[in-house]
Order: sequence, then C-alpha cells, then structure tokens
Amino acid sequence: MQLTTNNSRPILDELLEKSGAMTALLISKEGYNISEAGDTGYLNTTALAALVAGMFSATREVATLVGEKQFSILLQQGENRHIHIGLIKDSVMMVLIFQDQQRIGKVRHEAQKAGERLVDLMNRGESPQTQQQAVQTPEFKEYALHLIDMIFNKNG
Amino acid sequence: MPYLNYGDRELNFKIVYFGPGMSGKTTNLIHVHRNLQENIRGKMITLDTAEERTLFFDFLPLDLGRVSGFFLRFNLYTVPGQIQYEASRQLILDGADGVVFVADSQPQMLERNLASFEGMVLNLESYGKDIAKYPLVLQYNKRDCENPISVGTIERELNIPSHIPVFESVASEGVGVMDTIHRICTNVVRDFRL
Repeated sequence: MQLTTNNSRPILDELLEKSGAMTALLISKEGYNISEAGDTGYLNTTALAALVAGMFSATREVATLVGEKQFSILLQQGENRHIHIGLIKDSVMMVLIFQDQQRIGKVRHEAQKAGERLVDLMNRGESPQTQQQAVQTPEFKEYALHLIDMIFNKNG
Repeated sequence: MPYLNYGDRELNFKIVYFGPGMSGKTTNLIHVHRNLQENIRGKMITLDTAEERTLFFDFLPLDLGRVSGFFLRFNLYTVPGQIQYEASRQLILDGADGVVFVADSQPQMLERNLASFEGMVLNLESYGKDIAKYPLVLQYNKRDCENPISVGTIERELNIPSHIPVFESVASEGVGVMDTIHRICTNVVRDFRL
C-alpha cells in the first residue's frame, strides 16, 4: 500500500508525542513530500524534500564506495536543531527534527518503532486504483494540457 | 512514472534539464522562475560553487493548479554539467518523467554536447528508458554566439530520432525558454502512465 497523509499521520503524531521531536516528515526517494506532522510553519517542506532525497542518494553512493549497501540512518547535528533521517524499505525517508540533543537515544528508538509500523502498512494490500484511473482518462489529460497551454502561453 | 499522492490528491512530475557545463541549464530555470506568477512558482534552490557553477542540482517546484480535483505539480531540476559530476547526474535522472537537453551552440562546444548527450542516453537506459519513446526536448541555446552550429548537427552526429522537438534559445535573454518548458510539460502529460 502507498503511504499517504491519511494512513501515516497517526503513526507520525504518536512518534512526535513519544520522542519529543518537533516535526516529522515522510519523503519519497524521488523527493516528494508524502506526509508531515507537528510544527512545519518554519519550514519550506517542498524544498526540504528535494534536498533530503538528493542527500540520501548521494549518501548511498558514498556507502557503495566504502563497501556498504546503504547507510540506513543519517544524523545532522546543529547548534539548536538536529535532524534524524531513517530509510524505510529503500524507498521512503522519515525525517525527524528535534531540539533537545539529549533526546537522541529516545528519538532513534521511537523512529525505529514507527519505521516498523510504516513498513507493515506498506506491505498491506494494494494501492487504491480509483485515483489512478481518474488521472489516466483522456478528459484528465485534456484538462491538464489546457491548463499547461494557458499558463505557458500567457507567460511566454 | 509520476508520483500520485493519494491522500493529498497531488500528481507530481519530475523534469530534468541536462547538458554540458555552462550550457545554460540554470539560466533556463531562472528565467522560468522570473516569468511565472508567484502563486505558480515555488522557491528556487541552487546548490552552486563559488564560481556559480551548479554543484549538485538546482530545484524549482511549479504548482500549476487543480485539474479534476488533483493538484498538478512539476518539479524542475538541473544537473551539474562538468565531467567530474557523473554520479550526481545519474542520481538526479532517477525518476525523471522528461528531460530537456540544453546544448551549447558555440562551435568549440560540439564535442562536449555530443559526449553529454551520449552520457544522458546511457543514464536513461540504465533506468530502462528508451529515448525513442521518452519525453525529450532538445534546446540549442546561445544562438546569439559567433558562428553557432547549425540546428540539426547534434541529431545528425548521434542519429537522434527525428520526432524529438527542437528549440532555439538565448536563455540569458529569455528567448525560447518558455516555449521549451511548455513543450516538455505537454509531452510529459501526453505520455504518462501510472
């Protein structure tokens, strides 16, 4: 099953509550923002998703160079805020932003547990077909092409 | 394949601007950013070196609006053109739904254009893409240079399928930039399947 805001949000909310982190995000390996929880008002989450995905791809290459398949966790330590990034099933990154450095052990532990629950969710059932079908109709493509023509003709 | 976020009803496409170093990929994105309304363009991110050359990638998200209840989004990336950044180029092409190849029209750049194009084809093939059936647009940039190579040179030298759309541009002045992005977005939407 594909992870969505609806199905992953309760897991992220609980993770924030237990770990004391301020923000949690799920990001696809292509750099798309899947879901977010907690305080995101201070963040450009679209840009963060693209940059984290790029960083993780680069880290995978670094891992290969030193004879590892992947580094499954990345930790970025700042003065006031820190980022913990964990890889889930080789395709999704879970980003946790937290302020209290003393909580790193708790953050790591809770992230591990939430990651397992997300893997369970991903392994369960099929993705909804209805929306897939809805965007693949000739009408959808026609409307989308019309929108593209309007935007780029007007600004060309 | 585009990314469909079921929960938020978003359809996301990834477009990559590829080409040799200093051919004008970032300049294309800057012009797109300048020319679109604020409600469409997102924040442009540039990861460059002190010499203003792209180090990892540039990123510009575009929110085109809603279509039948779905948000239509295009995320534009550039790759670093310099030869030594091959690994970065391959990573950024992963998951791309379409590519704009930005060629440098200066005659002394022909060899680098050809090498870069061949590198792109190999990278796309490594992801199972066949350029004969893939949304690809070729842009001959810097048409205002002295003795620009003729349009058609790269296609002839590399036997590139003739149906690939070609545009002439002077990205530093915005000429041809919006026509290029218009066409790649159109072709990506026409071709996509989930």
